[in-house]
Amino acid sequence: MSYFRITLMRSAIGLPQRTTGVLKALGLKKRMATVFHPVSLDVAGQIMKVKELVSVQEVDRPLTKQEVHLQRKPDPGYYIECHSGQEDA
Amino acid sequence: MFKSTSPLFGGLLWKIPWRLSPPQKARQRKRLRAVDEVVDTVSEALKRNGMPMAKAVERWYAEMPQEEEMLPKDKYTIYDRKEKSYRKGIHSK
Repeated sequence: MSYFRITLMRSAIGLPQRTTGVLKALGLKKRMATVFHPVSLDVAGQIMKVKELVSVQEVDRPLTKQEVHLQRKPDPGYYIECHSGQEDA
Repeated sequence: MFKSTSPLFGGLLWKIPWRLSPPQKARQRKRLRAVDEVVDTVSEALKRNGMPMAKAVERWYAEMPQEEEMLPKDKYTIYDRKEKSYRKGIHSK
């Protein structure tokens, strides 16, 4: 059982009510929002309705909101060797 | 320094060139390819999960050309019944 990772790349402003409704049903409220849905015929049909607006990947498990956020976070440019009050091995 | 030109004086004179620039065309091709990619992903995911193909996907493959199979006319212009040639650029209003 795998999942669709769906990200809204283009906004639906100015598009018909049907399109906005499909996005709402998928749970995509603003651009760059990411949702996970199990692979099924229903979801496939919904994606096909908004195929011009979204980017889709097939993934093994749904990520939490925090995990998606961490993936989008840029590299800080440093790494922590050890914290204060801690002996490094 | 203020230079008097027709666009600055006339107010409503700013023109959109009739043809798309090469980067505009490249971005349009990129958007078209993105749609193809979405459909490919959906169809592969359904296949891998052993599900029947969605009707919308089947129809897409039966009727719609891929980006590289499309004619330039179809890529960069759209139908408009008010135009003299019934075609206008995707960038024109």
